Amino acid sequence: MSRWQGVVLSLIGLTATIWLGLSGQLALYIHPRYFVFTVIMAVIAGVLALAAFAFAPTAQDGHEHGDEHEHGDEPGSRWGWLWPVGSVLTIIAAVVALLILPPSTLTTATVAQRDLNGSASALTLKAPALPGKGDYSAFTVRDWASLLRSGAGQDFFADKTATVTGFVSADKTDPNVFFVTRFVVTCCAVDAQPIGVPVYHPGWQNEYKTDSWVTVTSSFRANPNAASREAIVLIPDSIKPTTQPAQPYVY
Amino acid sequence: MPAVDKREQPEREHGSPSRAFTSKSAAGLIVGLALIALFAVVRVLAPSTPEVFGLPNAARDFATLSISVVVESLPFVFLGIVLSIAVQVWLPEGMLLRRLPRSPVLRRLVLSLLGMLLPVCECGNVPLARGLVVKGLTVAESMTFLFAAPILNPVTIVTTAQAFGWDNGILASRVLGGFFIANLVGWIYSRHPRPGELLTARFQETCSLADHHDGDAGRVRRSVQMFSQETRAMMPALFVGAGMAGLIQVAVSREVLVALGSNPVWSVLALMLLAFVVAICSNVDAFFILSFGATFMPGGIVAFLVFGPMIDVKMLALMRTTFTAKTLLQLSLLVALCAAVLGLAVNYGH
Repeated sequence: MSRWQGVVLSLIGLTATIWLGLSGQLALYIHPRYFVFTVIMAVIAGVLALAAFAFAPTAQDGHEHGDEHEHGDEPGSRWGWLWPVGSVLTIIAAVVALLILPPSTLTTATVAQRDLNGSASALTLKAPALPGKGDYSAFTVRDWASLLRSGAGQDFFADKTATVTGFVSADKTDPNVFFVTRFVVTCCAVDAQPIGVPVYHPGWQNEYKTDSWVTVTSSFRANPNAASREAIVLIPDSIKPTTQPAQPYVY
Repeated sequence: MPAVDKREQPEREHGSPSRAFTSKSAAGLIVGLALIALFAVVRVLAPSTPEVFGLPNAARDFATLSISVVVESLPFVFLGIVLSIAVQVWLPEGMLLRRLPRSPVLRRLVLSLLGMLLPVCECGNVPLARGLVVKGLTVAESMTFLFAAPILNPVTIVTTAQAFGWDNGILASRVLGGFFIANLVGWIYSRHPRPGELLTARFQETCSLADHHDGDAGRVRRSVQMFSQETRAMMPALFVGAGMAGLIQVAVSREVLVALGSNPVWSVLALMLLAFVVAICSNVDAFFILSFGATFMPGGIVAFLVFGPMIDVKMLALMRTTFTAKTLLQLSLLVALCAAVLGLAVNYGH
């Protein structure tokens, strides 16, 4: 068993990777720039793993350095039995995590864990930041959050309409406000930073669950609650529930 | 699979009828394909909506973060294994090592620049370093390579430059600091009287049994055997390391770390702890830590960028395949001390 642990774990990992690639869900875990590299290495490893099965050592090979020598640093020690148990547990954990659990985005638990809009690098406008003729339709959650953070005044936002899609996460300080939230990913989900645009909508808790996806179209107003941390908010007439987009993270 | 013992192989290959060998390979191949098919079927049939399992958000995020570490590192580990096979099996005997300078100090200097040719982050360097030791690199030299390569690596340097620019000293401190620490560690361990004791018993066995006479016909077979040997060492370590990285991220509050960021001493220590915990690849850690750039002092960031590629939870799990626990503890303390001194020097020198 433990002889094949590495190859079997590789097969689990690469099957899951290739399936994620084929079903277009790799973006849940890694940045798109790694897609090609990841899939190519998975295929190469698949060929090598299959070859490992084809060239499996014969009984004579196994005889000399049999399984009893394979368990860690001190073969035959009192804790020797832990190794095969650990091997099996690792394989079970890998099967559950990579093959059985449905792929999933990060949730509001991680938004709470990581400071929302606390990341300077996630909130930088890309090069052609401000369109000359006021066409803001292509602006994303990230663009608007960056503008809000940059400290542009109320005058600047007065005539602008935003359409943003994201999932709902609560404002920790103001119960009337929720954030349309996205994660910014620079490499993989591990480094995801939450960003969001504040929406003023008293009683939102009764209509929308946190973690559900919504599209909000609205203009910006001053927050009616002057004590709130968010001075400028969206005050929408309507909020449309929507489904999670194919690319849930922004880059 | 045990370390490859070649002595009886040619005899068997010629002795046994080739048809028996072929049918055995075919049987093995079918087992492998059947496993892939099984895994694929399980994956396709598994429920596709996260709600089915009714997991709390924290548990879901733990799974997502751990899987993300695996999916992100897996191709680099495979690449490292392929490079390691290339160095051990396909490179002409001694070609790499013979060309190194004779003087130990110069050898380590050159080895620490080897990462320039291999744009692999730290996870891929462990199998490669193992391959180099089997080929005859000393233990101390392998440490120098292991610690320098992820920092003195074109991708890391470019991403660090993109994140922090060339002129604020962070890039220079990272590259020079990493280079210096790697060579210091190599120099210290080169004075160890019995370097073999630094390695795990299992890895020593691999080294002593490694085949140094090349039979052309056996090369493909040996490559394949090395693949299963290396994956057996690396894969459990990667999965366990990823699980720990995911768990710690869900459990440790980031707000506590950020609160420490503005103090010249605590910013260094807190970010080193963060580097240890998040276990991010050196190729991209600069972007990650940029998000803390506003809250943390530059010395803390330098300490993060130097310490993280060398020591973190994932790396410790991977390196444990090769070095003894005692050696790893010493190495961690030594590298942590050096990185802390470097970070404090940047903070107070600013």
